[in-house]
Amino acid sequence: MREITLSQAVNEALAEEMRRDDTVFIIGEDVAEAGTPFKVLSGLVEEFGTGRVVDTPIAEPGFMGLAVGAAMTGTRPVVDLMFGDFLYLIMDQLCNQAAKTHYMSGGKMRAPLVVRTNLGATRRSAAQHSQSLHALVAHIPGLKVALPSSAYEAKGLMKTAIRDNNPVVIFEDKLMYNDKAPVPEEEFLIPFGEANIKRPGTDITLIGTSSMVQVCEKAAEILSCEGIEAEVIDPRTIVPLDEATLLASAKKTSRVIVVDEGHQSYGVTGEIASRINEKAFYHLDAPVLRMGAMDVPVPFSPALEDLTVPTPEAVAEAARRLMSGEMIHAA
Amino acid sequence: MAQTKTNTEDYLRMYAQMVRIRTFEDTANQLYLSAKMPGLTHMYSGEEAVAVGICEALTTTDRITSTHRGHGHCVAKGAAFKEMFCELLGKEEGYCRGKGGSMHIADQFNGNLGANAIVGGSMGIATGSAFTAKMQGRDDVTVCFFGDGATAQGLLYEVMNMAALWKLPVIYACENNGYSEYTATAEIAAGSITARAEAFGIEAHQVDGQDVLAVNTLTQDLVARARKGEGPFFLELMTYRYHGHHVGDINREYYRSKDEERDWKDNRDPIVKFRGWLVDQGVASEAEIEAMNAEIKQDAAEAVEYALNARYPAESEVDMHVYADIEHALAPHTA
Amino acid sequence: MPREETPGSASHEVIMPALGMAQDTGLIVAWHKAPGDAVAEGDVLFEVETDKATMEVEAPAAGFLTDVRAQAGEDVPVGNVIALISATAEDSGSAAPPAPSSADDDDGGDKLPDGNEVIMPALGMAQDTGLIVAWHKTPGDAVSASDILFEVETDKSTMEVEAGQDGYVAALLALAGEEAPVGGVIALISADKPDTPIQRSIAAGTAPKATPPTGSRTPSAPKPPSEPAPKQPQTAAAPSAQGRILASPKARRLALQEGLDLNRLVGAGHAQPFHVRDLDTLRAMPEAAPTAASAGTAARHLTAQAADGFSGFAHWASETAGLSDVSALLAGLAAASLGREAVVDVERFGQGRTYATHAQLGQTARTDAPPALRLRDMRDAVLSSVHIGPEEVPVLTLTQDDAGIAITLECSADQLSPGDALRLISNFAGRIEHPLRHLL
Repeated sequence: MREITLSQAVNEALAEEMRRDDTVFIIGEDVAEAGTPFKVLSGLVEEFGTGRVVDTPIAEPGFMGLAVGAAMTGTRPVVDLMFGDFLYLIMDQLCNQAAKTHYMSGGKMRAPLVVRTNLGATRRSAAQHSQSLHALVAHIPGLKVALPSSAYEAKGLMKTAIRDNNPVVIFEDKLMYNDKAPVPEEEFLIPFGEANIKRPGTDITLIGTSSMVQVCEKAAEILSCEGIEAEVIDPRTIVPLDEATLLASAKKTSRVIVVDEGHQSYGVTGEIASRINEKAFYHLDAPVLRMGAMDVPVPFSPALEDLTVPTPEAVAEAARRLMSGEMIHAA
Repeated sequence: MAQTKTNTEDYLRMYAQMVRIRTFEDTANQLYLSAKMPGLTHMYSGEEAVAVGICEALTTTDRITSTHRGHGHCVAKGAAFKEMFCELLGKEEGYCRGKGGSMHIADQFNGNLGANAIVGGSMGIATGSAFTAKMQGRDDVTVCFFGDGATAQGLLYEVMNMAALWKLPVIYACENNGYSEYTATAEIAAGSITARAEAFGIEAHQVDGQDVLAVNTLTQDLVARARKGEGPFFLELMTYRYHGHHVGDINREYYRSKDEERDWKDNRDPIVKFRGWLVDQGVASEAEIEAMNAEIKQDAAEAVEYALNARYPAESEVDMHVYADIEHALAPHTA
Repeated sequence: MPREETPGSASHEVIMPALGMAQDTGLIVAWHKAPGDAVAEGDVLFEVETDKATMEVEAPAAGFLTDVRAQAGEDVPVGNVIALISATAEDSGSAAPPAPSSADDDDGGDKLPDGNEVIMPALGMAQDTGLIVAWHKTPGDAVSASDILFEVETDKSTMEVEAGQDGYVAALLALAGEEAPVGGVIALISADKPDTPIQRSIAAGTAPKATPPTGSRTPSAPKPPSEPAPKQPQTAAAPSAQGRILASPKARRLALQEGLDLNRLVGAGHAQPFHVRDLDTLRAMPEAAPTAASAGTAARHLTAQAADGFSGFAHWASETAGLSDVSALLAGLAAASLGREAVVDVERFGQGRTYATHAQLGQTARTDAPPALRLRDMRDAVLSSVHIGPEEVPVLTLTQDDAGIAITLECSADQLSPGDALRLISNFAGRIEHPLRHLL
């Protein structure tokens, strides 16, 4: 199969959906000729014109609000939010307006839109351009949240997001835009709420999201050399969450580590660990561990920034401790 | 309907719509006072000429976005009493199946995209609605209702900028009732309100919001021009709210005198003024007007009676409509 | 806008309005109209005071004020009808009666007679309730302080309880056969003969607590237990020697499903927490010898007494043979009692030392190897006997006894067979009495 970058995969998904459905349009800062700072959208304005690849002023709440109204009246906007950190700017329009439109109207109105944004640290961009804020929106009923972990998922999930009749926030890992993966040339979609077992294993389950799927896979390779067979699972969407696949794996291996790049406290890792604890408790042979980003603002200095994100070595070490039966946090 | 207002039927309809709003609000206030209505509500009484003057210049496919003080817009855009009272009382037959209530009442079939409990929260939605019209080559116009208090929100300036850049068919209608919640507008708004729009090159008008004909005539002109791509426009409608910020805001002399309230009610009531004009012009007799009033009152009484006895939504509805295409959001397979 | 009264409409209700944001009631400060007065819509009808302000309330319609049922000075719940505006000046009489006052709302419905309270006494140490076996008096009976009023059964015993005061039984608030919470009022004794003495069950009215316990914020009417307190845990699993066993949820579940006793892992000295793989060890362990009295414990406990021949021997060994390490001597004797060389852990004066023994006493030496046997010399302590339970190796404990030295052997069933255990303690007792035999 051909291999393309995550960036190309997103571009293809948008182009295919815009050709298929002329109510789809892209709106955001520097999305047209500039093609975004990451150049993900290069070439789209040439094909679809500035009427459907719409450059906006630097006004995130404004174009987000505009997209909500456009979605409510018959279009499918793809809002380009240049950095995930700017989510804070659009919270009212996304969470008070878009997320609740369908419910508050008793199902009579809806806001089918996509917010395309990103996450991920270690790009030396400091505290306001490095956050992984997907837990913020996953907390809000009415929003769906997708976390592609490779070019393949980036394409398949984006196409599904555009066709979904609900507001969807899709976070791309900004460090993976140039990473290549096999992506079929023929059309495909990845349904929401279906986790992907990236690597089967029997001894311990590593649940990783987005950027952390690769980290878990590398940890699994390390562990495999030591005779520990880790199962790596990528939920792909955290809302909806494929609980069944996660629970089945937890019951099979009886040990679970959840790895996610959002801050560890009150986050995705805690939510998933808690569900496993509630629903697979009597199958657990060890406490479910969370590994998230350190609970500090992302520092600029590489010497500090690299400390804040889970690494394959750290995941492998945590897995070893669980496997050894060490009494973790027993005091 | 929007073409001419020179015939009797249109004048009488404007009068009836204003009385319908006043009657709806008086009835809703009674529901609140008698503790039959859950929650709070914000009365539109006094501002009827604004909603009616504007909405009578619109067609059903034109859209509006509304505010927390939204009953007037909803009635003026064509909503029925029965579904409105059901919504206010949280009943299943309400416009939003009881899930929205007074502050989120919406009537999409008549182009009302909904009231909004965030002050200024619907400015983006209105602008987006106009964006859709332009993108899809339709000639409908969107009116964004908001109050003087909402002019302090940054979102207004972000979306007016884009609307002006892209010549969107949207009319920003600022209902200046003199008070931003519990504070006089002069204390929260520096400079001129219309000048805010003019700074973006948007044509702005100030109009007497108690004069339904003045509002309607101006709006007809602006709507027609907006349909031709000459938008956006901005209106500042000088009006007055008879009640407090909400029905529980009863002791308000610290920010507004009773004399001032009495002056507006006695001398500038939009319904009384228009009624006098209709009689003077020979459009209707006192008796015809009284009959119309009585009919509307009866209509409201029946709708309230119906709503009081209507069913609440079933408990199983609590996790419905969280997501489109998912019947129950909390069903085990989707949890 | 002109206001019109709808012709022929029925009377209008005048309602206490909800004025403030968090207001439940309104105080009527004054009526501005009297019953029978004609009123026009919009006339000020009455004044209400809320937490925030005093407000004038207008008449909702034109007509006559009638059926006024709340007066100035009354606090009326929001939403209540306080009057009508009627077509005529006469009261309609159709108004609903005023809402019942809540002041008399009693816990049990019927009113209790006056009298001094008799409470369920606390008899046992950890007793929450007492079962009333029988009342010895009936309602209305005269009682003196020393009369038996009732019998109570606790987990320990049945007791007769005296009335404690002279008077008459005014009320019995629990039936024989019911459990009453300790401290709960179960009877009332009045000074005068009661007019209507009553008896009812606890279920009929919650027994109010006589005196709330100090510092307690428990409501005064404790809920009587709906069923007797559980007696004993149903499970047959005996608690482990050290209390709570640390094991993973999965290990616990599998052990329960397979009927495996995690205590046996504890007894065999396996380190906690237990995980699923420890269950393999448990499954492989031989079944404990079924004894009638085993009751879930797999421990052996044997005791012996011996004349103290050891003290003299130790003195001799030190003086004559230069073997001054008493611990080493004890280790040698213990290992010899097993019939082989072995690693023995000796604890004396709070210090532990481990020795690898040798057939030649003098060649016994310190080691780090894991022990096969532990010897605990407690002769300097005030202990007369020990019963600690099995440890990871069999343990011999020496305590001082009037007649000499008491020896206790403790081990788990799987560490030593009954015969081996008997041989070990017998041999060792013999060697304590006659250490020199060891040399022979």
